[in-house]
Amino acid sequence: MSQAAKEAQKMVSDTVFADDPRKVSGTTFGTSLWSKGLAKLKRDRIGLAAFAVVLVYFLIACGVWLGLIGQDWYVTSDSSFAPASAEHWFGTTRNGQDIFDRAIYSTKVAFEIGLLVAVVTTALGGALGAIGGYFSGTWLDELVLWLMGVLDALPFYLFVAAVAFAMQGHPLGMHVALIATLWTTTGRVVRGEVIKLKSLEFVEAARTIGAPDSLIIFRHILPNTSHILLVQATIVFVTAIKAEVILSFLGIGTQDGVSWGLMLSQSTNEVTIGFFNNFIAASAFLFVLVMAFNLFSDALQDALDPKKVSG
Amino acid sequence: MQRPMSSQVVDERRIVPVDASASPPDDASAYDASDARTTAADTSSDGGRAADALLDVRHLKKYFPIRGGLLRRVVAEVKAVDDVSFTVGRGRTLGLVGESGCGKTTLGRTILRLHEPTAGEILLDGRPITGLSHAELKRRRREMQIVFQDPYGSLNPRRTVLETLREPLDLHRIATPRERRQRVEELLELVGLRPQVLSRYPHEFSGGQRQRIGIARALALDPKLVVADEAVSALDVSVQAQVLNLIAELQRRLGLSLLFISHDLAVVQHLSHDVAVMYLGKIVESGPAARVYSDPKHPYTRALLSAVPVPDPSAKSRRIVLPGDVPSPVSPPSGCPFHPRCPEARPECREIVPRTVTVEPMRRDALRDGAAARSSAPHRVACHLHRESGENGASHAPENEV
Amino acid sequence: MSEPLLSIEDLVVEFRGDAGTIRAVDGLTLSIAPGERVGLVGESGCGKSVTALALLGLVPSPPGRIAGGRVLLDGRDLTALPEAEMRRIRGAGIAMIFQEPMTALNPVFTIGSQMTEVLRRQRRLSAKAARADAIEWLDRVGIPDPAKRLDNYPHELSGGMRQRVMIAMALSCRPKLLIADEPTTALDVTIQAQVLDLMRSLTEETGAAMILITHDLGVVAETCRRACVMYTGKLVEDAPVDALFAAPRHPYTAGLLASVPRIRPDRLETLPTIPGMVPDLAHLPAGCSFRDRCPNAVPACRTAPPKLHPVGPGRVACYNPVAA
Repeated sequence: MSQAAKEAQKMVSDTVFADDPRKVSGTTFGTSLWSKGLAKLKRDRIGLAAFAVVLVYFLIACGVWLGLIGQDWYVTSDSSFAPASAEHWFGTTRNGQDIFDRAIYSTKVAFEIGLLVAVVTTALGGALGAIGGYFSGTWLDELVLWLMGVLDALPFYLFVAAVAFAMQGHPLGMHVALIATLWTTTGRVVRGEVIKLKSLEFVEAARTIGAPDSLIIFRHILPNTSHILLVQATIVFVTAIKAEVILSFLGIGTQDGVSWGLMLSQSTNEVTIGFFNNFIAASAFLFVLVMAFNLFSDALQDALDPKKVSG
Repeated sequence: MQRPMSSQVVDERRIVPVDASASPPDDASAYDASDARTTAADTSSDGGRAADALLDVRHLKKYFPIRGGLLRRVVAEVKAVDDVSFTVGRGRTLGLVGESGCGKTTLGRTILRLHEPTAGEILLDGRPITGLSHAELKRRRREMQIVFQDPYGSLNPRRTVLETLREPLDLHRIATPRERRQRVEELLELVGLRPQVLSRYPHEFSGGQRQRIGIARALALDPKLVVADEAVSALDVSVQAQVLNLIAELQRRLGLSLLFISHDLAVVQHLSHDVAVMYLGKIVESGPAARVYSDPKHPYTRALLSAVPVPDPSAKSRRIVLPGDVPSPVSPPSGCPFHPRCPEARPECREIVPRTVTVEPMRRDALRDGAAARSSAPHRVACHLHRESGENGASHAPENEV
Repeated sequence: MSEPLLSIEDLVVEFRGDAGTIRAVDGLTLSIAPGERVGLVGESGCGKSVTALALLGLVPSPPGRIAGGRVLLDGRDLTALPEAEMRRIRGAGIAMIFQEPMTALNPVFTIGSQMTEVLRRQRRLSAKAARADAIEWLDRVGIPDPAKRLDNYPHELSGGMRQRVMIAMALSCRPKLLIADEPTTALDVTIQAQVLDLMRSLTEETGAAMILITHDLGVVAETCRRACVMYTGKLVEDAPVDALFAAPRHPYTAGLLASVPRIRPDRLETLPTIPGMVPDLAHLPAGCSFRDRCPNAVPACRTAPPKLHPVGPGRVACYNPVAA
């Protein structure tokens, strides 16, 4: 965009916050970039709808955690392969287990994976990416890049299998494997952003007043990547959930309990005999959540991107 | 100028013009001939004024290595700052002018130890700031601060004004935490902003206001030296004038020494007592601003001054148009770096690097209103066209490049 | 004056923002004669750059739009033309030079390919003829070794040279009007001198008119015959350069001229300043938008924005202009 057009754009966004005598009475508190972003998000109908859906799922997961719903997912009964009915909304499995309850319980499993992996990869990727970016050109950065390169070079599913095997079927084996591979994307994105940020003058200013590097990295630079970190976290959340499906298919995913992936893998046999309920239940739940989360992630990215023009 | 504002944040009434007698004398009347000989014989760089100098830079070099090849060996160097020496007196402003690539920004940052000097010494208040331990350097950082050019990049967008201004105080544990807030409010007052702005974020301010916040931050630690790196270049004309007045007044009020880096010759003249002109990493001319601007000795200075567009259509410009572009600091020309573009170049200019000679020695001005005797800086040039001169035209041996 | 080349009539450009709609250009009326050099001066936010975009039909359309007025180039209303027609005007009718030569030139193409592309599209020259023309123009703008330069990439040239290439590209299409938006702001002052001289001599040679947009009053004084001062989207003063600088009639112009630091024999203690700040375009005061900062304000200034009326050799939009 030409300089003139950029200026025109800046004029639009600047005029809103340029010094307005009415605002300086002391009654208006500063609006941070976060609150600006949230305000923009509130105007995005699709984003809000998507967020609402995600919220519903989250509440379901909470319900399961708190022991309110979905507790009977493992209870067997005699009515095997029962069709959908008032008692069993999606029918029953081969062992007479209620499919709907299993799908509900799987929501909790999905969120466990998604949240754990998202939070840890964001923290790990953010920290290592920031360190690499800040010290770019030195051995520290080379080390971080090498680490990222090695992990990216490993074939994903083989690596997960290896970790799962090494952890001897421990329930968190899959989580560890996912974290170990998925942090690199966040790391790279953060590293790139930090390299840009570290040449900005407020970083030099911090150095001039005597701030140590650790403070500059974690209290000055990293907070300025928070919009990126949040968006990356949502992307990893979805990636982790989808990865679990395939891993469970391969038998190296969820070991205990039930998950959408396990349901889907079980359903592969069942559809050949004409029983689709398992398949439909798991797919529907999974698809809606992934779709909503993706839409929400897009909306978040648009809202938090400091360069996008509003409206 | 003392008028109610449409904006209630910037309180211009606080900027009071200071009476003229407080400014250092610039006029040419008092000249003590005996000093000419003293300065020539004196071996120190500026003839006994070293004690007066807050900042003393000696033979400073900053080279940036360029790495190439598979093993990333150093293949060339960017000689950003190439053997620069100068002083800044207490309470005085030195304007550092030059075009892009001359090294003035690198020089400013190297002095502040944001870059590591490749060679040379920097003395602040008589004590070196090179070769210090981490903790010592942190302590000395309080004495020298910087105001940046870009009002939009120099403040952390995620921090409120209060957080930004408190940080230096927190880092150096100045005063009690409760007192720090008060100190921050004092700083705001100093730069003409109301305390209401403390809870706001940088994007809610205009460029001029952000620059004021940047100045407040620079003053938070009570520094003795402030480096202003193109501090007004990114501002609109009318805002520039306000901020210039602010800087001038703060300097007078707080007795700061100011290293004012700019490419804008008019702005530098307005603000500076002394001036140094840089070209390709070297200082080619320096001296009292009044002298350098009225009687520039170096051909580059002359061309630079003639090139400044004057807002006066009737002024006939006797513009000296320099051919070509500024050469790259990676491979500077031999001899005098300016010789390829110099309209008055001689054969020796291509071969020999010119030494810095004093064309007009230091002068002591008479005591005035009880103010301490101030000395004006010597007028120096690095050019083969000029020789060392004394009052009676006797030529002294040219000083070694200082 | 004979038929003007460019006639802007009551141009209004609006932008939609978070807080509502603002008028970046508010009722601009201005004419330019063939071959005339006019400076458009003002500080950031005054609307000068948006005016240039509007002339070329390049106002970014989701947030902005031309909300009123006409722009007549040789009698044709540019605001009413379809995009295909405008594309033909751009380059041959009106050419533009931007502030940042690095970003205005595409870094992945050579100078030669960019210049010949323009020539072949606008003037339908063959590849060979376009190349010859490009060499001739590079020579005319003072670039040494022009044939070799055609194969250089933009980053291989200095800022001054890139700007010369931009000038060559712009003028090679023989436009009737050249718009230069802060063409020398990013250049060093010695290079700036060269480029301004070049622009002045070339426009005289080719007979092109020029609108020079800048915040630098010195540049206007040296390069232009006429100067137009803008404030918050409105034209506040329009006068020949001699008159404007010697005796500015609008208090804003006067304040601006007084507050520019210039090299003087005697150093000033403090610079005169215009008090306050440029008002927020979304919250302009009623009446004249300069009234809260104006030393000449009178009660009439609160009523309605003043209209341009002839004062001396030029026009001023003020109820109480500065005395001559």
